[in-house]
Amino acid sequence: MTTAPVAVDSRPARKRRSASSSRRSGTALTPASGLGLGVSMIWFSLLVLIPLSAIVVKASGGGWSTYEAVLTSENTRAALQLTVVSALLITLVNMVMGTIIAWVLVRDRFHGKAILDLVIDIPFAMPTIVAGLVLLSLYGPQSPIGVQVNGTRWSVLLAMAFVTLPFVVRTVQPVLEELDTDVEDAAASLGSSRFTTFRRVVLPALVPAIFAGAALAFARGISEYGALVLISGNLPRKTEVVSVRLFSFLEGGNTEAAAAVATIMLFVALLAIVALDMIQRRVARRG
Amino acid sequence: MSIEVKGVSKRFGDFVALDDVNVSLPTGQLTALLGPSGGGKSTLLRIIAGLDSADTGTVTIAGTEATHLPPQKRNVGFVFQHYAVFKHMTVAKNVAFGLEIRKRPKAEIAAKVDELLRLVHLSQFAHRLPSQLSGGQRQRMALARALAVEPTVLLLDEPFGALDAKVRKELREWLRRLHDEVHVTTVFVTHDQEEAMEVADEIVVINEGRVEQVGTPDELYDEPANDFVMGFLGDTTVLNGVRLRPHDVHLSRAPELAGAAEGVISRLLRVGFEVRATVLTDDGEEVHVVLTRTHARQLELREGDRVWVTPASGAASVPPMVATAG
Amino acid sequence: MASTSSTAVGNGSPVVKWVLRLLVVGYLLMLVIWPTAYVVRHTFADGLTGIQEALADPDVVHALKLTVEVAVISVLINTVFGVGMSLLLVRYTFIGKRALSVLIDLPLSVSPVVVGLALILVYNGRFGWFGPWLEDHGLQVVFARPGMVMATCFVILPLVIREIVPVLEELGDDQEQAARSLGANGWQSFWRVTLPGIKWAVVYGVVLSLARALGEFGAIKVVAGNVGGDTQVATVLVQQKYQNFEQQTAYSVAFMLVFAAVLCLVVVALLRPKEGKER
Repeated sequence: MTTAPVAVDSRPARKRRSASSSRRSGTALTPASGLGLGVSMIWFSLLVLIPLSAIVVKASGGGWSTYEAVLTSENTRAALQLTVVSALLITLVNMVMGTIIAWVLVRDRFHGKAILDLVIDIPFAMPTIVAGLVLLSLYGPQSPIGVQVNGTRWSVLLAMAFVTLPFVVRTVQPVLEELDTDVEDAAASLGSSRFTTFRRVVLPALVPAIFAGAALAFARGISEYGALVLISGNLPRKTEVVSVRLFSFLEGGNTEAAAAVATIMLFVALLAIVALDMIQRRVARRG
Repeated sequence: MSIEVKGVSKRFGDFVALDDVNVSLPTGQLTALLGPSGGGKSTLLRIIAGLDSADTGTVTIAGTEATHLPPQKRNVGFVFQHYAVFKHMTVAKNVAFGLEIRKRPKAEIAAKVDELLRLVHLSQFAHRLPSQLSGGQRQRMALARALAVEPTVLLLDEPFGALDAKVRKELREWLRRLHDEVHVTTVFVTHDQEEAMEVADEIVVINEGRVEQVGTPDELYDEPANDFVMGFLGDTTVLNGVRLRPHDVHLSRAPELAGAAEGVISRLLRVGFEVRATVLTDDGEEVHVVLTRTHARQLELREGDRVWVTPASGAASVPPMVATAG
Repeated sequence: MASTSSTAVGNGSPVVKWVLRLLVVGYLLMLVIWPTAYVVRHTFADGLTGIQEALADPDVVHALKLTVEVAVISVLINTVFGVGMSLLLVRYTFIGKRALSVLIDLPLSVSPVVVGLALILVYNGRFGWFGPWLEDHGLQVVFARPGMVMATCFVILPLVIREIVPVLEELGDDQEQAARSLGANGWQSFWRVTLPGIKWAVVYGVVLSLARALGEFGAIKVVAGNVGGDTQVATVLVQQKYQNFEQQTAYSVAFMLVFAAVLCLVVVALLRPKEGKER
C-alpha cells in the first residue's frame, strides 16, 4: 500500500497543566519568606519533629533489649499481628467497595445521591470515640438486629471499616469524574464488551488513585484507637490492637516499652506515607 | 447503500436534536455531515455508531438492521474530536486494542499494527505513550485504531476540531488521500463548510435537527435548496430582492443591462487578490460585490463612484426570507 | 449535545446498575447511616430530657466548653501555619522542601496515642526534654491547656495545607506578579490577590480541621489526663460516662458531637458549588 505523504507535526502536545512543573520549583527565598520559613520550621519541629524523635531516642535508649522484650511479649506480638492483618483486610475491602461507591456516586443517578455523598464524610468528621459508640449501639450487647460483634475480632474489622471508609472513595471520585466517557465509547465501538472496557480501559486509569486511597486507609487503620476502645473489649491476644496496647503501657508507666511499640508503628506509618508519595509522583509524571 | 437512516428522531429533554431524519449514504464514499453547532449532526453520527439510541426510526448498516445493536456489534470505526486515546497504553497497544478484543493471532495483530502505523506515519512512535504525541499525531493514531478492525463504516466526529488551523488543513488533505486508498465508507461531522467542500464526495447539510439538502459540493454551492444552505456555504448579498453570492454580482460603470440597479460605492476594501465593494443603491439596498483585483483596476473604482449592478448570468440565487424548513 | 452517553459502562445493563446501587446503599446503611441514626434515636428516647439532664451536669458543661476552647485555639494557630506553609511549599524553593512536604502528611498516619506519647516525652514536667525547664518558667504543658492545644494541632496539621496547596498550584503566580508590577508590596499582594484566590480552600480546610479538632480523643486523652471538671474534654467524657454505665449522658454528649460534625460537613457541602462558581 502506498501512502500519501503527510507533514509530520512534531510539536509536543499542549500539556494540560502547562506550568505546574516550572511552578513547582518556585523562586528563591526572600528575607521575609525566609523568616516565615524559620518560624514555621520552629513550630513544626516543636510540635512534630522533636516529639517524634524523642520516641525513637527513648526507645533506643534502652538498647536492643527493649525491642526484644517488647517483641517477645506474646501480648504485644498478638496486638501487632491483629492490627496489621486487620488493617490489610480492611484496606482490601476498601479498594473494592470504595471504588464501587465512587463509581455509583459519579456515574449513577438517583434521588438521595447527594445525601450518600455527604454520608461518606461522616466517619472522617465524627469523633472516633463517638464512632465506637455509634457502632456499639447497633452491633453491641443491646443490638436491635441481633448482631453482636463487641469483644470479637469482627468488631476490630467493623470499626476499621467505619473510620477508613472515606479514603478510597474520595481519591477515586475526582479521577472518575475527570475520566472522559469518549474513551469508553471508543472501546465499545472497537468491539469491547462492558466488562472488558472496565477491566482494560477504566480500571488502569483508576489504579493509582485506588492505591493512594488504600495507603491512606491502611495508615489510618493501623493507628486507630478511639473507635476501637469501646467496641473491641480490648481483650489481650484476642481483640487488643497496638494503640490500645500502647495506651496500657503508658498507664502502667512503662514509657520505654511504649516508645518501642510506637517506633515500630511510626516506621509502618512512614512506609505508607512514602508509598503514597511515590504513587502520586508516578501519576504526575504520566500526566 | 451502505448506511440507511430512516425516520430517526431524538430528543434530549425538551431539546429536539433530530426530527424525522432520512439519509442514505452510499458505499465507498466520503460523506460530510455539515451544519452549525448544536444542529444535531453529531447526534446523528453517534446514533449510527450506536453510542446514542434514537427515540424513533431505524438505522441499517450494510444491509444489516442495526437499530438495536450495541456499538460493539456494529463493526464501525469511530474517531472522536478529543481523540479518546487510551492513556495508559502505548501507541501500538492502542491500535492493537480492537484486534486483541477480537482475539486475532498475535502475529497477525503485530503485522496489522505495523502496516497501519506506517499508513498514518507513526511507526517511529509505536512504543511511546499518547501523552508524548502532539494533537495531530494523537488523532492519526486514533484513526489507525479505528481502521484496525476493518470497519464497515468509518465515522469521524469533528475529527480536526481540536487542532490548530495549519495542522487541520494538512490532516484534512491527508484524510482525502487516505480515503482514496482505503475506500472505506466514511462519514465525518464538521461545522466548517470549507472543510466539507474540500474533502467530501457528498455533503448532507443538517440544521435544527433536520436535513436541509443532500448533494455534491458543486450542487450545494451552485443550486442551494434554500436560504439557509446558501448562507451556510458562503457569503451572500441581496440584489433586487434576490439572494446571491457577492462574486456573482456584475458591476459596471455604465448601465449596460436592462434592470441594472444604480448606486454609489460606499466602501472599497482590498483583501489579497480580491476587492470587496459595498454599493448603496438608489433603492436603498446595500449590495456587497466581490471583484478580482485585476477587474477592479480596469474599472478604476473609487469610493463615491456611481456604478450599476446586476446579477451575473448563471448566478446561483434563491429568493431571500423563504422559510428554511425543509 | 451527546452529553449523556448510553454506552459508558456505568449506564450499562439495568441489572448491573441495580446490583451496584443496592450494594452501595446497603453497605453505607449498615456501616454508617443506621448506626448513626440509632444514636440519635437513643438520645431522644425520652424526648429532650436526656440532653437536659446531660447539660445539668457541670462536668458535661465544662467538658463541652473546654472542647470548643481547645478546638478554636488549635484551628486558629493551624490556619496561620497552614497558609504560610502552603505558600512556602508552592511559591519558594529551598533545601529539604520535598522531605518537608512528605513529613507534613505524617500526622495523618500517626496513631493519636503515639502523638500523645511523643508530646509527653518532650514536655512532661518530670522527665521530659523541655518540660522541667518550661515548668520552672511557669508554663505547664502536659496535663494542661497548652498540651491539649498542641496535641490537637499535631492531628489537624496537614488538613489546611492539603486543601490550599493544589489550589495555589492551579492558581499560578501570574496574578501575584501582575500585582507586584502594579506596585503592590509582598504583604499587599498577599492580602489583595493571593488570599482572595485561596479563600474557599482556606474555609474548607478550616471547617474540616474544626470537625477533627472537636472530635480528637486519643492524643488529648494521653496528654490531658482525665480529671473531670478540669482537663476532661467532651470525647473523653463520653468514654468515661459510657464505661460508668451513664449511657444516657454518653449518648447525649455523643449526639452533640455528631451534630457538630455533621453541621461542619453540611457547611462544606454548601460551600463547594459556590467555590465552583467563583472560579
